[in-house]
Amino acid sequence: MRLSDREQDGVVILQPKGKIMGGPDATLLHDKLYEYIDQGKKNVVVDLAGVDWMNSTGLGILISGFTTLRNNDGILKLANVTDKIQSLLTITKLVSVFEAHDSIEEAIASFND
Amino acid sequence: MNKPKIVGDTMTVPSDQEFLADVDTFLEATLRGFGADESVIADIAISVSELVNNAILHGNKAIPDKIVTIKLKRENNAVCISIADEGTGFDPSEVDDPLDDNNLLKEVGRGIFIVKSLMDSVDVQATNNGTTIVIKKAI
Repeated sequence: MRLSDREQDGVVILQPKGKIMGGPDATLLHDKLYEYIDQGKKNVVVDLAGVDWMNSTGLGILISGFTTLRNNDGILKLANVTDKIQSLLTITKLVSVFEAHDSIEEAIASFND
Repeated sequence: MNKPKIVGDTMTVPSDQEFLADVDTFLEATLRGFGADESVIADIAISVSELVNNAILHGNKAIPDKIVTIKLKRENNAVCISIADEGTGFDPSEVDDPLDDNNLLKEVGRGIFIVKSLMDSVDVQATNNGTTIVIKKAI
């Protein structure tokens, strides 16, 4: 997995690419997410367009970020959820937890709703 | 340091998550050789990654000298994969229901549930000498 990150309009955008399966790669996403949370950032979008698939480790990282941000008056949203990951979110009922958007721009705009 | 080894359609890896990507590379290449389509390969890859993670962390307690063995076999129009650890036995029924509202936001505990959802069959053989989980999926 590779990971890029940036900020746009006050929103942190994390863009993992490849597969999120556990081990060093998953640690990279977790650590970057918490680096921003520790800086006091409250609005985060994880762009999943480039993620081939993830397993429960990846879902666990998203949940961890979601709950930590929510407990600090922030929110973690998803963008560009692929069919494979959408299927995982559905079977695990996590589709009811995460707010998902069809594009990064739409996700960023939703913070102003 | 121990390294992963491949003999035919069998791979052995030391109990270190560093080698998960090596397992995935071996698995996906073998499945493509079997003629599986990409969506099925992804479902199997997700499932195997879950089971190898469990074998490394819960079965072998991440002790590098303990080995995880992954065997692939083509059976007519299906693939049969076994993942074996050298731990003291793992009972998946001990895992809480991840769909229970009280567990929905837990960060762990979904692996076996996901495997059962994605595979056609999941057979667990747990003994004091280790756990072997056999999964099957039509390809």
